[in-house]
Formats: sequence, structure tokens, C-alpha cells
Amino acid sequence: MKKLIALALVASALVATALTVGTTRGQSAVRAGNGSATTLISCGKTRTIGLLAPITGPAASIGILQVKWADFYVRTYNASHKKTKFKLMKADTQLGGANGNAEALKSAQAISGSSKVLGVVGPAGSNEVKGTTAVLKGGGLAWVSGSATNTTLTTDGTRTGYFFRTVPPDSAQSKNVSHYIISTLKLKRVYIIDDQEAYSTGLADEVEQQLKAAGVTTTRDGVSQQQSDFSSLIAKIPRDTQLVYLPWQLPPKGQAFGQQMKTAGRASIKLMGSDGLFDPAFASVGSNVYDSFFPVQPADSAIKAYKKTHGGQGDYFGAPSYVAAQVVGGAIDRSCKNGKATRAEVRGQIRKTNLKKTLLGLPVRFTAGGDLRSGSFGIYQSKNGDFARVG
Amino acid sequence: MNWSLFFDLTVSGLTLGSVYALIALGYSMVYGILKLLNFAHGDVYMIGAFIGWYALHALGGPVSPSVSAWIAVAAMFVAALIGCGLLGVVIERFAYRPLRNAPRIAPLISALGVSFFLQNSALLLFGAAFRNYQSYDLIGSRTFSFGNLYFGTPQILTVSGALVLMVVLTVIVARTTVGKAMRATSYDREAAAMMGIDVDRVISVTFFLGSALAGAAGVMFGLVFGQVYHYMGFIAGLKGFTAAVIGGIGSIPGAMLGGLIVGLGESYSTGYLPQGSTFQNLYVFALLIAVILVRPSGLLGKAAIKKV
Repeated sequence: MKKLIALALVASALVATALTVGTTRGQSAVRAGNGSATTLISCGKTRTIGLLAPITGPAASIGILQVKWADFYVRTYNASHKKTKFKLMKADTQLGGANGNAEALKSAQAISGSSKVLGVVGPAGSNEVKGTTAVLKGGGLAWVSGSATNTTLTTDGTRTGYFFRTVPPDSAQSKNVSHYIISTLKLKRVYIIDDQEAYSTGLADEVEQQLKAAGVTTTRDGVSQQQSDFSSLIAKIPRDTQLVYLPWQLPPKGQAFGQQMKTAGRASIKLMGSDGLFDPAFASVGSNVYDSFFPVQPADSAIKAYKKTHGGQGDYFGAPSYVAAQVVGGAIDRSCKNGKATRAEVRGQIRKTNLKKTLLGLPVRFTAGGDLRSGSFGIYQSKNGDFARVG
Repeated sequence: MNWSLFFDLTVSGLTLGSVYALIALGYSMVYGILKLLNFAHGDVYMIGAFIGWYALHALGGPVSPSVSAWIAVAAMFVAALIGCGLLGVVIERFAYRPLRNAPRIAPLISALGVSFFLQNSALLLFGAAFRNYQSYDLIGSRTFSFGNLYFGTPQILTVSGALVLMVVLTVIVARTTVGKAMRATSYDREAAAMMGIDVDRVISVTFFLGSALAGAAGVMFGLVFGQVYHYMGFIAGLKGFTAAVIGGIGSIPGAMLGGLIVGLGESYSTGYLPQGSTFQNLYVFALLIAVILVRPSGLLGKAAIKKV
């Protein structure tokens, strides 16, 4: 018996040691990244861009648009270039899924660990950007998001020189939203509900502050992103509320909320979503639904060409991801002029990006923090089940 | 006192509580007979929600169904009741029956395994995208108001449907031969077998009924709250289990009472407690702990007497 106990103790100690060593090595790998910033990579004919997007999961309806636009960039580039090609290494982040940021982290590790990847498009969510910073930065990669708008992503100093975005930040979105509520809709009683995620609470804080400063009565509440039953929360909303603001990321949740508002006899209360809810699912709730969205130029030739090959659909939520791919692709091209490049070089080239004309309707140059130098959000209203610009 | 808020929260709590009561009934019935906590029950509820969605879309979808809206709703319920009932029988036959004489931890682990199996099978088969019942388009947007009380059509459907199903179950258990056999088996399985009762068949019927109720609960959830997705069964199953324990695990009236208490508790905590909507799960499970500390056998459960 004593021998058995002794054997068991020795075995446990061995297992614990092995686990500790393995974990430490794993952590080192995560910190350094298998493809490090200064490793010289032979560019070859086909270069690889990493793509982090919610391909499946609750945000799949908007994530898939980002994938389609990024694919469209690659197809367009490959059709017009004979000597060099691009391909995408896609990884699913399942934004809003049951596992939180775990899927995004796994996907970032896979991309960072691939020695062929020189730059990354995505991820989509602000909380995902925060969650994957250590891995992507540790791998020396620059990443350009076409939708992560939380203001602090470019102001907290954590990812300066590594993270860039082709959409304006929430500090611009909040100003446009508040201005529309105060000056155009002229409302006095607003209820704000965030979904507890970084993107949502940041934007809700800014809008709440601006509305209060203008004398609008605001009430603030929060709900878990995993929730589907909003009936009790809706019961708390006073019937004389004029607008409910939902800075959420998941269109199915926005749709469910709107439908439950109707069932609860509150159909007359306006709903306004943020760019994360810019989807026909949310628009289908009714004509008193508004949303804010980043700029696109519908008359741009790239958008026209996209619509032609996608059944007339603009899929505008994904359009900034096209520009993000354009930024990363252009940086890789410039870095690979002598046939070899490092991730650090690509990062440097992304910082120097100067696209004079893009489908956003504005030029793309980055500030030191990684934001666009200009850009504002438009306000849209639901008409016949889709959003049309009204402000 | 804001009576309007109170009534709204009460309606919301009763609606949700009805769903939880149907889930809790399945837990109680299975525990009563087999002394097994069927942790896969919440995922049977999820499968029921998907069956309902697919049945609706087989009939043309919520916007323009090929039959009248109410026939479509009835078809959704029938499909979920039968589909989940059969699923429950299959689960019992292959995951629990072989372990009936094993130590009690074995079927418990098996139940957890079945839960993960169902969840991931749903992910594989149906994908991770949310499905929306669009009940607003299907059965209309009529809201009934009585003073400060507002009821929507899906809520009336859920509460009345749950009530009907509970009454039917009570009649089956109290007035039919198979119900008598179920009660005998739950009281003493060996003695019931000796009296000529086909215990295997009785257990299969129990699983069929419990799982059918869970399937119906899944359809009701979809109609009221709109969305179905592959991991919706996890937290609903936990709350159904909580309801069964609060009411007294093994007790059918206890399961119904527990479900309503959990639903109302969740609703009132959202409405009245600090950060209620964010921490409603915290408040519900705190209620579970409080009830168990005061009354370990649940509100309507009976303390077990062991021969020493």
C-alpha cells in the first residue's frame, strides 16, 4: 500500500512537471510567436494575408460580409497582377459565441504561428482586438480591422504601431449619434442599454455623456451578450421613453430585442443601433429603427464591381475590410520589392499608407495611433427592410 | 409603487416560468424513477427548438406559410413533441440503460457526455448562426391590455400551452395505467418488476414524456423570445434543474411551482435589484442556495427516510 502511494506521488510530480514545462514553453511561444517580427521571409509569387473574422457564430451574418469583401480584394488583385498573387489564411473568431474570446485567441495563435503570414486583416470586434493583442503583437504582426471602433484601441498606447483601422473610432460615432438625436430627432428621453462588451460600454459611455451635457434625460442599463430573453429588461423601460439606444455587436440580438419590444406594447419607441447592428435583420424590425454606420461611397467603381458579382448586393458592412486588405496588400507589395520581407517592414509600410482614393469616399492615411486621419459616421433609417441614409 | 412595472415583470416571469416548469418536469420525472439527474435534458429542449424552426420552414416559413399560421404553430409543436420524445427514448436506451446497475456517478457522467454530444451535433448539423422564429410575422403582433397589464399573443400561447401540457401530464400520471406503473416504479423499482410491470417500458415512456415536454418548451421559447441557437440549452437546462430542486426533485407539482418561482425570481431581480439584468443568473442561483439551506428537500419534496 505504501509503495502504491509512493508511486502515485512520483507519477503526479512527473505529470505536474511536464505540464509546467509544456505550459511555460507554450506561453513563450505565444509571447514570441513562431513567425517573429524580424524573421526574413521569402515573399515568393504568392503572399499570404491573415484574415480574422466571425465566419460562424452569432455575428456570422456581418462577419461573412467581411470575408466576402476581403476575398473580392484578393480576386481583383490576382486578376490584375501576373507576377504576384495574394491568398487569404482565414481563421474563425466566432465573435459573440459561448466561449468568449477563446476562439479569437486560438485563431490569432494559428495565424501568428504561420511563418507565411505577413499582415492581418481583422479581427472584427473591439473586445477581440484587445484579447488578441498579446499574440499578434508578440508575433510582430500588424493587423488592420475593418470594424473595431472602440476609441481606446488606438489611444491606450498598448498597440501603437501594430493596430490600424479603416473605420473611424467611436469618438466620431458617438458625436454623430448624439448630434442626430439632439438636433434632428429632437428627443428628450433616451434609454441606453449596453451589452457589457468593450465596444458597447465604451460607445454607450460616450453617447450618455454627450446626451446628458445637452440636457437629454438618459437612463443606462446593461445586459449580457448571451441573453435572449429581454422581456424583463423591456418592462423597466418607461413607456414615455422616446428612443432606446443599443450599441451592440450581434444583429440577431438586436432583432430579438426589437420584436420583444413590439410584443410588450412598446412598438412606438424608436430604436437606434450602432454599426454592429447594421444588418437587414435589425432593419426588418420596423421603420422606427435607426442605425449609425461608417462611410462608404456607393458610386465607387470597386463597389459597383462588387455588386455586379454579388447579385446586386452591396454588403456594405464588409466594405472597410476590403480597404483593410488593400492596406495590408499594398504594404506587403512594397516590402517585398527585393523578394524578401519581415513582419516589421510590413508594419512600417502600413504606417506609411497613403491611398488617395478608396471606396470609403475618403483617402486613407493613418495617425500615429492607427486611426484614419478623417471620417465620420452616417445615420441610417430602416426603409422596406433595409437601411437608407438619412443623416 | 410602480404597478405597471410590477405587472409587466409578472407577465414576463410567468411566461419564462412556464418554459422552465416544462423543463423541470422532465428532470423531476426522470429523477423520480431512476434517481438520475439527466443533464442532457436542456439540450433536448434545444433540439426541440430547432425541430420547431425546421418544421416552420418546411411549411413555407413565418412570412408566408403554406398553411394557416395556427396550423403551422400546431405542426411545430407536434413535430417537437414527437421528435424530442423519440430522442429521449433513444438517449435512455443507449446512454443510460446499460449503466442502470453501475455506480451512480457513471450515468451522471454519461448524461454530461450526451449533453456535449447533442450540443456539438447541433453545431455541426445546424451551424453556429442564430435562427429566428419571427413569430411576430407568423402569429401577428396583437397585444392585449387590461389596464396596466399587457400580454402579447406568444406569451398567452406559452402560458396557456404550458398549463395544458401540465394538466395532461398530471392526468396521465394520476389516472392512467401507465401513470400508475410510473408511480409504482418510482416508489420501488424492484417491487414493481416483481408485480409484473415492464420496468424498461415504463422508463422509456417516462423519458418520452419528459423529453416531449422539453421539446414543447423549446418551441415556446422560440415563439416568445425569437431566437434558437446551439448552446441555448445549457443555461436553460441549469435553470430547469434549479426549478426542479427548488420545487422538490421528484415531485411533479414541485417542478411546476419551482419553474414559476425561478421565472418570477429572474424577472423581479431584473426589474428591482441592482444591475439585475446583468446578474440575473447570480440572483437565481442564490435563490437556489437559500431554499436548499432552509429546506433541503425542496418546497414540495419529501425528506427521504432511510432504513438504518
